[in-house]
Amino acid sequence: MSLALIAALPFLGALLPGVMIRAGRNACATVTGSVTALALLGILLHAPAVMRGEVVTARFEWIPALGLNATFMLDGLGLLFSLLILGIGLLIITYARFYLAKSDPMGQFYTYLLLFQGAMVGIVLSDNVLLLLIFWELTSLSSFLLIGYWRHLPEGRQGARMALAVTGMGGLAMIGGMLILGNIAGSYDLSVILTQGDAIRADPLYLPALILILLGAFTKSAQFPFHFWLPHAMAAPTPVSAYLHSATMVKAGLFLMARLWPVLSGTDAWFWLVGGAGLITMVLGAVIALFKDDLKALLAFSTVSHLGLITMLLGLGTEFGAVAAVFHIINHATFKAALFMTAGIVDHEAHTRDIRRLGGLRALMPVTFVIAAIGSLSMAGIPAFNGFLSKEMMLEAAWDTGTGFAVLATLGALFSVGYSLRYLVHTFLGPVRDDYPHTPHDPGPGLWLPPAFLAVLVVVIGLVPQAAVGGFVKVVAGAVTLGEPTVYLKLWHGLVPALYMSIAAVVGGAILLALHGGLSRAWDAAPRPEAKAIFDALVDACARAARGLSDGLHDGAVSRYLAIMTAAVLAYGFWAWSGGEHTPGLRIATPLSPVPVIFAALLAVASLALVALHRRRFVALVVISIVGLVVSMAFVHFSAPDLALTQLTVEVVTIILLLLALNYLPKATPVETTAARRLLDGAIALGAGIGVAALTWAFLSRDRALPAISDYHLANSYEGGGGNNVVNVILVDFRGFDTMGEIIVLGIAALVIFALVDGLLRGPASRWLANRVPDMPQAGDRHPLMMVVATRIALPIALAVAVFIFLRGHNEPGGGFIAGLVAAIALLMQYMASGFAWSESRQHFDYHGVIALGVAIAVLTGVASLLLGWNFLTSTNEYVTVWPLSKVHLASAIAFDLGVFLTVVGSVMLALASLSRIGRRAGEGVNLTPMDIDPEAPGRAGKEPH
Amino acid sequence: MISADISVMMPEIALAVYAMAALLGAVWTGKDATAPLVTWTTVAVFLGLAAWIGLGGQGERTAFSGMIADDAFSRFAKVAILVSAAAVLAMSQDYMTRRGILRFEYPVLIALAVLGMMVMVSAQDLIALYMGLELQSLALYVVAAIRRDSVRSTEAGLKYFVLGALSSGLLLYGASLAYGFAGTTRFDGIIATIEGGHASLGLLVGLVFLITGLAFKVSAVPFHMWTPDVYEGAPTPVTAFFATAPKLAAMGLLARLLHDAFGTATADWGQIIALLAVLSMFLGAIAAIGQRDLKRLMAYSSIAHMGFALLGLAAGTAAGVEAMLVYMAVYVAMNVGTFAFILSMEKDGTPVTSIDALHLYARAEPLKALAMLVLLFSLAGVPPMLGFFAKFGVLRAVVEGGMPLVAVLGVIASVIGAFYYLRIVYFMYFGTEREAVETRMVPVQWGLLMASAFVMVAGVVNLFGIEAAAAAAADVLVR
Repeated sequence: MSLALIAALPFLGALLPGVMIRAGRNACATVTGSVTALALLGILLHAPAVMRGEVVTARFEWIPALGLNATFMLDGLGLLFSLLILGIGLLIITYARFYLAKSDPMGQFYTYLLLFQGAMVGIVLSDNVLLLLIFWELTSLSSFLLIGYWRHLPEGRQGARMALAVTGMGGLAMIGGMLILGNIAGSYDLSVILTQGDAIRADPLYLPALILILLGAFTKSAQFPFHFWLPHAMAAPTPVSAYLHSATMVKAGLFLMARLWPVLSGTDAWFWLVGGAGLITMVLGAVIALFKDDLKALLAFSTVSHLGLITMLLGLGTEFGAVAAVFHIINHATFKAALFMTAGIVDHEAHTRDIRRLGGLRALMPVTFVIAAIGSLSMAGIPAFNGFLSKEMMLEAAWDTGTGFAVLATLGALFSVGYSLRYLVHTFLGPVRDDYPHTPHDPGPGLWLPPAFLAVLVVVIGLVPQAAVGGFVKVVAGAVTLGEPTVYLKLWHGLVPALYMSIAAVVGGAILLALHGGLSRAWDAAPRPEAKAIFDALVDACARAARGLSDGLHDGAVSRYLAIMTAAVLAYGFWAWSGGEHTPGLRIATPLSPVPVIFAALLAVASLALVALHRRRFVALVVISIVGLVVSMAFVHFSAPDLALTQLTVEVVTIILLLLALNYLPKATPVETTAARRLLDGAIALGAGIGVAALTWAFLSRDRALPAISDYHLANSYEGGGGNNVVNVILVDFRGFDTMGEIIVLGIAALVIFALVDGLLRGPASRWLANRVPDMPQAGDRHPLMMVVATRIALPIALAVAVFIFLRGHNEPGGGFIAGLVAAIALLMQYMASGFAWSESRQHFDYHGVIALGVAIAVLTGVASLLLGWNFLTSTNEYVTVWPLSKVHLASAIAFDLGVFLTVVGSVMLALASLSRIGRRAGEGVNLTPMDIDPEAPGRAGKEPH
Repeated sequence: MISADISVMMPEIALAVYAMAALLGAVWTGKDATAPLVTWTTVAVFLGLAAWIGLGGQGERTAFSGMIADDAFSRFAKVAILVSAAAVLAMSQDYMTRRGILRFEYPVLIALAVLGMMVMVSAQDLIALYMGLELQSLALYVVAAIRRDSVRSTEAGLKYFVLGALSSGLLLYGASLAYGFAGTTRFDGIIATIEGGHASLGLLVGLVFLITGLAFKVSAVPFHMWTPDVYEGAPTPVTAFFATAPKLAAMGLLARLLHDAFGTATADWGQIIALLAVLSMFLGAIAAIGQRDLKRLMAYSSIAHMGFALLGLAAGTAAGVEAMLVYMAVYVAMNVGTFAFILSMEKDGTPVTSIDALHLYARAEPLKALAMLVLLFSLAGVPPMLGFFAKFGVLRAVVEGGMPLVAVLGVIASVIGAFYYLRIVYFMYFGTEREAVETRMVPVQWGLLMASAFVMVAGVVNLFGIEAAAAAAADVLVR
């Protein structure tokens, strides 16, 4: 039978119990057992080959790009574990059939059990570390389902959560370790990795890989400091604890350590990490187990202790240690599974697992007693049982390692004897009690046969070890060490140190049991760290810390977000700058003359003043306008009159619009931050400013990467665009398409302002505006005579200037955009001086229409070119004489420019009209006589209202 | 000439025309009454375009003087974007209609955002890059604040807009620096100016700014600050959209920029990306632990996932790009399923997004709980779910790219991150007795949840062959 099929069998079989449960519980258990038996048979068919030292393999390509192949192999180690998994699985299935109550959904239970079994078989048969990882996590998952199966047990929940959290995370950590391992070895196939031991141990990444892999193994096998989850997972039903938490799943970590023993062991790091953790776990588990009153808790901690023992043996890194470890794996699996099942029987019959309420069961349950006696004496390490043999080997190995190891190992063995005897003595011996929750008697053979079978194995191996399993242990140990270990198992070793240590342990253990009552009280009184409490506290602390981090970082304030972003950009920018080589730029700076220096100083002063005064919004606006004006002066200085004009007019329009809008907003910005915070923000801003300045300097002081495009425009402006003003030609001709897009955007922006204000005036803001009390007393002289007169005189002049600028635009500084802004300013002045209502009532333009007309003219100009067979927006020019003017140079682009003009005027005026709607809603009455100075009006300075 | 250009961009043009037609059609007819119709038509258009691009496209073509490319990479990304957008749109219609927030603009805006994304992933020029990015971003700003009567939604939209504008500014600044020092905006022109595997200092600074701008879009730490607020504040369907297609597009764009324009200077940017990735993975994993709100948790989860995807890019190899693409595809699939579930959570008709609402959910709805279990395990990267393969792929690419310690950090982050996914599973199966949440699902949501969970399990067979497509896409970028 192919290995892949064996690994797949339990998964395929997992479908059956759910179906067969309809045919009854027996059919369900039978079919589950058959699936397991079939897989077991498959393994056994390969056993002879493996015993001859061959390695059976099966291989499929899966996702080769990921290095993931479905490759399986069966060697001695795999054989041992698959026999354990399937053999004990068969016994557990039988046992569970009789253990589960009628109300329990058995089909579901067997499905989960088979899933789990498949995952375990997968782990031990995988020849690919990635495949192994997948099966590894599948065991976490299916065990989660199995533990969760007993939903009505509240204490099961905590255990399940902890088990899932600890083992799941360990498994994830292992992914990293395997990744590094595979990368060093150049393949993710175990058979290749195992040959690369020296390369892996010499690699600088060996230690991280080792730690990550051990995290996976230790969490799974409940090694210190991750030992705490296993006892809490024992709330699961007994068949589950016997199978998962004693015989199979917790041994997966051991399997992994044994599997990777040839490549990872033999270093100091391995010795101290694995050996140390194992030793601590062994002693700690044994001590705690002695003081547990729950039978299953006692067994759970004893399992922890024994797992530690095996880990310690593997950690020694010696061949003898490996042999002892393998042997103890076999022995522990047999006696511990038997003990768990007897604990389950006691629970099942007496309805309690509390040792304090038990005792004297020997007479009531003789069969169970015999099985339990064999199991616990073996666990205690009494001769004639298999536990004695491997314990002797362990003590011998510890003796060879050093005094410290020997002492601690003896101590562990001593406590081990103590709890083993306690399990036996306090449960079964002593007088029969009359206060059992339920009068116990021996169960049917379905429950006691499986443990009895194991008990027989315990005795047989204990009496004739070499004949029973000697050859098998040799093959398995050979697979672990990749060598030819000498294995000779025998009962009598002679008067070696291990024997004395063993005797000391047995005697000491017996004394411990005798003193148990007093010790137990002392133990209960003594303060000691409770692993579960620590775990919970740790989880809580982590959650709190995490919440502190996220709340502190994401407090919802945009200012903080901006500060962090800016600081990060600065850091990255600095990193880029400091990492590269940089030479100063070679361009010669333009010589400085006093005027630009003065203006630059003015710019700097204005900017600083803005920072200082920004809370007073009117003042800030004034300062901003200074900045804008200086910038337009800079354009003048660098001989860009068009830009200067544009900047100037845009500046005027925006400042006036802002001024009008500010009328309805608070006049001051409140102080919301502390001085320290502002200082920090200032530092960040300063850094950003310096950075930008440095970049600008760096850019300006270097020659461009390619010749400037201006030469091309200068050369082609008149030829191609029919105008001498390059800027205007660019706008209406070279990049006419862009301009068209821009005026459309401008128009849309104005429409959006209109729509927003419209929505505003329909909503609650409207009522607020209507009832608004101005935050400053209003001057009675709303429309000063001087201004009114001046603006009215200025209106025709300004409009004439606009027309002039518009017409000259193509050849001299000017153009539709600037002209539009000038015209808009001319109209704006009227609003400022004479009031919204007065100005509105004298205007009969629909500015939506003006915008539409402007855009339409611009587009039509382009389309006209298309109709004449040219490209879109191609322009032509002509000198025409219009009476009574002199000869005028007209380009067809002027029509396009007209579109620009109209759109600009329309957009600005629409924005203004929107503001004026707000103003009128806020109570600015219709005021048809603008020079309406009423000396008696209330609020006028010096006069009290009547 | 122009017709050849147009034929390259035909799907984009078709989508643009559709979006405008749908907008005008809805305005002129029933307005919001047509919203469900427009939504489903948009879904159909997305799927149709995905089929068109996925099945019809082949070879490599460029258009508009090399500003836009149609190649295996852009096709992979476009199909993923279109399909995920269609899925999210389909599952949000019922939710939005019942809560009265389905406006006809919503599907149109999504269509425009998707159009922007399609341009982004095919950009071969800084200008095209910016155009696509802004089209997408502007649509997203509006969508984030689409629930105008909700203070949180508008606040989220405004924050997103302010910060997004800043990031766009940074990106433009970087683009202008790159142009100033390379003398061209074309990617192939920029890469030609890089000599000896190192960009000149000016170019490098420009690249840094470009990366920071894009890091904002993929919400990589420390440019992620908007993510939790926007995810929590925006209506859930919008959150679902934010978590899927835009992330894919931004990641695709980043890969394009890094490899097409700066591909020979991997040493210069590999560390920046690696740092972003590591910070994102850790912050996402740690900050999510304290969250009680599923949407906020998904925000941190997406930050962490973006960290992993960035890891693939940090490797600077074809394998890294391939791993990143597979990761993003899997990530999007997982998120579609998860959000289909979150969308269905409600109590007495009002949406619920608290984790505490899920206590003992498995008792009431075993099948949906099982699907969520699969998805959450996959999000955590636990084998054998597809999420593991995705995560493993990027980690392997990083190790092979010569940054094993970064991979180790990634593993540690994934261990931390697993905690909060597993906690939800724990609540669903073992929680305490509380008032259980109802999950009322329309068939689309149910189907997407189940399909997504099924994909996470069944994908282990051969990853549905996306690997080959991703490999072909990666080969286009890294030559």
